Amino acid sequence: MGAKISIPVRRIDAKEKAGGWAKYIGDYEFDNLQHGRFLRSERARAKIIEIKKPVFPEGYYYVDASDIPSSGKNNIQMIKDDWRVFAVDEVRYIGETIAIILGPDKQKVLDLLNEIEIIYEDLIPAFTFDDALACKGGAVHGTDNIFAEYLLNVGNTDNAFKNADKIIEGKYETGFQEHLYMETQGLVGTWEDGKITMYASAQCPFYIRKSVAGTLGVPLGDIRVRQVTTGGAFGGKEHFPDVIATPLAVAVNKIKKPISMIYDRIEDISFTCKRHPSKITIKTGLDKDNNIIAMEIDTLVNGGAYESSTPIVLQRAILHGLGVYNIPNARILGRAVATNTFPSDAYRGFGAPQGLFAIEMHMSHIADELGLDTSDFKRKHFIKTNDITITNSKMHDDVKLEEMFAKIDEMSDYSSKVKKYANDPVKGIGIAFVNHGGGFTGNGEQVVIQGVVKMKRLDDGKAGLYVSVVEMGQGLQTTMRKIAAGELGLSIEDVVYDNPDTDIVPDSGPTCASRSIMVVGFLVQECAKKLKAKWEEGVGTEATHQYVHPEEFVWEQETLQGDAYPAYGWGINVVEVEYDPVTFEVKTEGVWAVWDVGVAIDETIMQGQSSGGIIQALGYASIEKCELKNGAFMQHTMADYTIPTSLDFPKVETVFIDNPYKYGPSGAKGAGELVFDAAPPAYAEAVQNAIGKRIYDIPVTPEMIMEALNK
Amino acid sequence: MVDSYRPKDLKEALSIRAEHGAMPLAGGTDLMVRYQSWTGTLPLFKNSIMFIGHLKEMKYIKKEAKDKTSTLVIGGTATLTSVANHPETPVVLKEAVLSIAAPALRNNATLTGNICNASPAGDSICALYALDAVIVIEKTGSRREVPITEFITGPGRTVLAESELVTAIKVPLKASSVNNFTKVGTRKANALSKLSFTGVADYKNGRVDSIALTFGAVGPTVVRSVELEKKLKGLSGSEIETKISAILEDYSTVIVPIDDQRSSAVYRKKVALNLLEKYLRELSRHE
Amino acid sequence: MKEIKFILNGKEVSVEADPLKRLLDVLREDKRMTGVKEGCGEGECGACSVLMNGVLVNSCMIPLGAVEEAEIVTPEGIRETEKGKLIIDAFGDAGAVQCGFCTPGMMMATEALLTINKTPEEEEIREALSGNLCRCTGYDLIVKGVQIASERGKDLW
Repeated sequence: MGAKISIPVRRIDAKEKAGGWAKYIGDYEFDNLQHGRFLRSERARAKIIEIKKPVFPEGYYYVDASDIPSSGKNNIQMIKDDWRVFAVDEVRYIGETIAIILGPDKQKVLDLLNEIEIIYEDLIPAFTFDDALACKGGAVHGTDNIFAEYLLNVGNTDNAFKNADKIIEGKYETGFQEHLYMETQGLVGTWEDGKITMYASAQCPFYIRKSVAGTLGVPLGDIRVRQVTTGGAFGGKEHFPDVIATPLAVAVNKIKKPISMIYDRIEDISFTCKRHPSKITIKTGLDKDNNIIAMEIDTLVNGGAYESSTPIVLQRAILHGLGVYNIPNARILGRAVATNTFPSDAYRGFGAPQGLFAIEMHMSHIADELGLDTSDFKRKHFIKTNDITITNSKMHDDVKLEEMFAKIDEMSDYSSKVKKYANDPVKGIGIAFVNHGGGFTGNGEQVVIQGVVKMKRLDDGKAGLYVSVVEMGQGLQTTMRKIAAGELGLSIEDVVYDNPDTDIVPDSGPTCASRSIMVVGFLVQECAKKLKAKWEEGVGTEATHQYVHPEEFVWEQETLQGDAYPAYGWGINVVEVEYDPVTFEVKTEGVWAVWDVGVAIDETIMQGQSSGGIIQALGYASIEKCELKNGAFMQHTMADYTIPTSLDFPKVETVFIDNPYKYGPSGAKGAGELVFDAAPPAYAEAVQNAIGKRIYDIPVTPEMIMEALNK
Repeated sequence: MVDSYRPKDLKEALSIRAEHGAMPLAGGTDLMVRYQSWTGTLPLFKNSIMFIGHLKEMKYIKKEAKDKTSTLVIGGTATLTSVANHPETPVVLKEAVLSIAAPALRNNATLTGNICNASPAGDSICALYALDAVIVIEKTGSRREVPITEFITGPGRTVLAESELVTAIKVPLKASSVNNFTKVGTRKANALSKLSFTGVADYKNGRVDSIALTFGAVGPTVVRSVELEKKLKGLSGSEIETKISAILEDYSTVIVPIDDQRSSAVYRKKVALNLLEKYLRELSRHE
Repeated sequence: MKEIKFILNGKEVSVEADPLKRLLDVLREDKRMTGVKEGCGEGECGACSVLMNGVLVNSCMIPLGAVEEAEIVTPEGIRETEKGKLIIDAFGDAGAVQCGFCTPGMMMATEALLTINKTPEEEEIREALSGNLCRCTGYDLIVKGVQIASERGKDLW
């Protein structure tokens, strides 16, 4: 770790947050604030026959689709707009918004809500992959329940399978995961100066603006969105705030008063998007020397009742489907299905963790089947610079996996432990190798986002930084300032970077896809150079900079061919466990990580990302069980949906290697999602080696271990 | 909205119970969650509430000795933290209490509250069944003592009458050389039970003199079979070892758990029996 | 409605409210002490941690009527004390703060721990923080923050 920018600084927001000065959405005071609560569907799939309402006292309102202005529409403008603001006539999942009940007194609002009776006529719901593919009860979406279907192909897979000496197959499944940001979802909508303003705990202020403007049928500039300090997001506040903001805007537009919609925890766990469950089947053909010559992958993800960002999640799942391996002949079919479950949406990793879990476990299973060492087998197939990718382009990255493996082997003593534990009845160690593409897939940054940043010289030698990406815990308030201050020769305190306000900042795109530092940070660095060049023009001097796509990266979206990502972050995790043969519980004894994120903008912040991402991923892999029963999540409190505590996992040992990327700020690449990707398969493999039975699914619960041992 | 009362002492608390039947609230860690409503609104209590957490008369833990037997008396408002910290607290009870939630909750929750909650997954209850705890119940002008096995009648149900208050829990301090409390939770800390197990036993002249085996969260109330325990009394360690599979078979008929959002019936039963087996093996080596 | 008196951050205060109102709501709404956060409302997460008569408790599970005559300390009550500043600085230097929603509660848990154990081992710190959930950090840098606070604060606690 040699770069100067990597030297840690104290986070700019540490003090105000630690001492409780920072204001989150629930901490603001608004005059004459009204409180709203959703009337939700209690049925997974039904016709609404009648809604029996009590008489509403003065000042209390029932707001539904009939309140949408004639200029607007009852659709939430996300990537598609199939998700309805308010359900009308029929409901498609438990928790779907039917109306908002609002008024000045919360208890009265609850009482009114309780008095409402909905008469339904139940229809046959589809919950599982099989239900969806069989169009049980009739298609939920379109004619076939398929939100998206893609086929990737490299080489000649059919031919290669014909020449295979042996064929090995496996089926891998992952479950729902709840984001469980510590601050629940929340927005306050106000009517200020004849205009709707949304104060939001959110990742993407411009997404909210677009969806609200679309619902009300007004120009974008008529809506103002102000992000407030956000208590964690992890993808959960990427598109989902639109689902609250749009009905809320309809209500504000109706009564012209400020209205708060802040979720309780139970409401948040029960009625927000989760990570897409997946079911991935992999078939591999090997030659006589145990080289992989062909691979066929069938990927299914459950998108739930509405499309949201599901097709893009599916793209990421399949684009990461081959993991870090060079497979000359491969075919990946990806399908996203519609069901009557709560719509799935963005969650840190965005499909990649599902695809990577499957390929890593499959590689492990092949090695096991062939009696080979996992890491030897995987290393033999590592993709190298200029190898052909699944999208028929070349791997442009300088791949340093071998150097990273040597590092993690030294840190964790992996190679000797894997031999030592081979016959140990309770101990096991696992390893996983991953990469994660930074930024939007393909040419999304160029075609869809076209991000712009702005800087300005202010009084007192300060510089203003205007971007739409947000601080949500990942450290952007500090890292962006470091990048700008570094170019301008200022201290980070002299760079002003307020929470984005859509009336003030240009649209530099959403805070997601590991793009904030790599893509927007680079724009900031370039913009700061421009501002520096004209700094002497005086206070008020501005500079803007817009994304320019590097010419060497080519992409065709219709066929998904070319350079899927300009650069990848790379990582290796090792996890060591011991299981208890009496209770089948697993104790994690050690966790190690080596990352190539180009250059760390701040080493301490990146340590925090590494530990935080890995522990969140270990939760996903072990204790975060989220199951459906008749279309409702069974776990809906923090007591039942359990995330890791400080005692569940030991300290994570992390090392970063330098590998600068020329279009990243000071060489930095995407990192926020990469750190999630490797721990689930490393953990599952460690458990597998401890119990001596193969693991195909996560979360790996003690109940599952017991069953595996019984087989 | 319901009424609430704040008695100045135990006597007044008993008269409020007699007059209004107000539900006692000590730490609030169960009731406030059970009746939780929307942020900023009042909890949805169905009955009036009486605050008792501040009553100093019941905030004690003391050891009483009588006729060569000693008893730990835990006052009705003693917190879990104070129970865990008391030097005379039997080890299985201490471990059970420390397995509950986290420090902040234990600082306010009371042992009495845990019992009156009568959850089949109540961790302290599993230990108190094995320790033959006795519940001291008072009402204005009278007092009775009820064994915990009779106090709890079902999930969330007890024999406590509306006019009564639990003022103490008596835990006999008996010789016990082989002790085990194990909680299998949903995670490593701050967890709810999938199941729990308590075993306490003592040998005299190489033969089991006393033994109690209890299982939490595997039935509507904590499971304890005095009948099956009788079969073990008088056995030597080596005799126990030879009978382990028969004992497990006996117990497999009384452990009848269910599936829920925390675990499965199959897992609960298997692990309960595994814990029992592990305990019996340890017991057999101890004589 | 009742008038209830208690000591809040060293000063006697009086609140006119239903005694069954949650202390959390009293602190946030009546007293505008928004350093106390609501993460779950069921005693699982510790974001609402305060000190009651010197020990750590969850204010979401305590009705106002139960704090009559008690001493309550919120993040607002310690953040400008010598100990509070030291913890905040230690957290800042360790990188313990990410989204920050759990952090005031973590500060309260740290204060409670160091009061009874000046030089805790890593395992004791993890035990003391086990009721304060964090989704961002994976806890490592918070543990480090407590360790730094303990080293620097030897003469304070």
